[in-house]
Amino acid sequence: MGIIISCSQVGKSFGTTQAVRGIDLTCAAGEIVGILGANGAGKTTLFKMILGLLRPDTGSIQLVAEGSKKIGGIIEKPALYGYLSARDNLKVFAKMQGSATQPSHLENCLQAVGLPLDRTDAVRHFSMGMKQRLGIAIALLNDPKCLVLDEPFSGLDPVGIQSLKNLIQSLARKQNLAILISSHIVTLLAETSDTIHVMREGRIMFSGAPSTLLERFTTTYQICGPQLRETDVWKEYPASFHGTCATVTIPHGEISALLQKLVAANIAITSCTPQLDMNQLFHTSV
Amino acid sequence: MRALLAVEWFKLWRQRRTYYALGALLAIEAMVMGSAYLQGAEIIDLALAGLRDTFYFEGNLLNGNLVTYFLLNSLWFHVPLILIIIVSGLLTTEYKDNTIQTVFMQPVGRWQYILSKYVVGIGFTLLIVTSLAISSFLFAYLLFGKGDLIVYLNGLVFYEQESAFWRLVGAFVAGAGITVFYSVVSLTLAVWVRESVTTWILSLLFLILANVLMKVDFNSELVHQLFFPKLNDTWQYFFISDIPYPRIAANLAVLAVYSIAAMGLGVYRFQKKELG
Repeated sequence: MGIIISCSQVGKSFGTTQAVRGIDLTCAAGEIVGILGANGAGKTTLFKMILGLLRPDTGSIQLVAEGSKKIGGIIEKPALYGYLSARDNLKVFAKMQGSATQPSHLENCLQAVGLPLDRTDAVRHFSMGMKQRLGIAIALLNDPKCLVLDEPFSGLDPVGIQSLKNLIQSLARKQNLAILISSHIVTLLAETSDTIHVMREGRIMFSGAPSTLLERFTTTYQICGPQLRETDVWKEYPASFHGTCATVTIPHGEISALLQKLVAANIAITSCTPQLDMNQLFHTSV
Repeated sequence: MRALLAVEWFKLWRQRRTYYALGALLAIEAMVMGSAYLQGAEIIDLALAGLRDTFYFEGNLLNGNLVTYFLLNSLWFHVPLILIIIVSGLLTTEYKDNTIQTVFMQPVGRWQYILSKYVVGIGFTLLIVTSLAISSFLFAYLLFGKGDLIVYLNGLVFYEQESAFWRLVGAFVAGAGITVFYSVVSLTLAVWVRESVTTWILSLLFLILANVLMKVDFNSELVHQLFFPKLNDTWQYFFISDIPYPRIAANLAVLAVYSIAAMGLGVYRFQKKELG
């Protein structure tokens, strides 16, 4: 896989505030790279520099792609002309960059992101999920080789989140797009990305596969089952119960043994959800 | 560039505010004509009480030409006021809705983009002034008929119907040049300020100051020829008996230089500043 986005020692300050400090990252064709960070970590500033909206004070950003449009993206929320229909929005953005504006092409663009063709009303009436999809359709005009999506899941309902996750994965796997995606929702990013970088105070504090991230920063698990309390296994573990679920704080390496003991005690388990230590992840990760 | 112009023009006419502006101008026209219809005759009779015994006036003095002249006065303030809101809005709404970021995530040149906004702003201004001129003549002649024009410029001056019409046309042309200047300045302020209400306030302040300074005598012919507030009343020169065409041309040329300079400043600033 060829590297499409390459950031080297990228930095940016606003007055005396250093928003981004010496960031190195790459994103290859077909890869989804997630940037995780609390609000104010520097994710949006980094993305704006990659998209060319801000100029880095230090370092360099290289986009290795051909064509008139190398990169597309959405920053924060999809910014659209609310008084125009989805089709007119696409037409306007296509026309200003010299892309095809034939009705059939625009319909294909709408269909590619799963937007209905029969909506002719202004996009201000659209749901956030539909706006995100239209924003992605606009970002994909002129066939860029990489896509940058800043907080794409914010404001979406669970159905919208799942649908958008599928779309992002499909764009990476089927169209071989390099995708950079940011979020502060750990589980969503872990489920979507191939690699995750954790940002804090403008720096990358952790880089690795989602599984490594989960291993390293998971200290608590939520285990659910109908007869969960009916065993003495819990005497060995610091657990608290609420309804049919238990929250237990144990090292990552011990969860497997706990689950085996519960199964051996004939306790049915309906789910086991790792819960990351956000404090450690966003404030002390190194 | 042609594609950007087409897109800007298309967006302008798809926004409600554009139609509100046209509605507001029609309302101003209707109010001026309504006032003239209700009270104009009495005011003119009062003003000319002593002259009617000495002079013969052809036709009704409260006629279409006089009403159009009243409407021309709106070029001083009301029309720029409305145009400032629309033209600066070409850019401030893009900042407000953040669509400017979406635009520059596409392969679009910055100077071409902002220049297209200036061109569309100027085109819209000229269209509005032309529409105002046509509708003024049309409705004023329909409602009040034709006749000699009486104006007060350091004393009462009278022009015959034919001469009055062409003087009014010339005044609209000169007024268009002045209005274009205000529209361009408002868009340049929008480049700096980004936010709509502050842009309006600054543009209005500029308009008010220009109108106040227009009345100040600076005791310098050079200042009167080159300082933009003194060029505001260029359209009034068409109501001087011997129209000073060289002076009008010079004033409009200076205003054009001011407009181009303001536009150049805006393009330069927009090219340089970050959009994040």
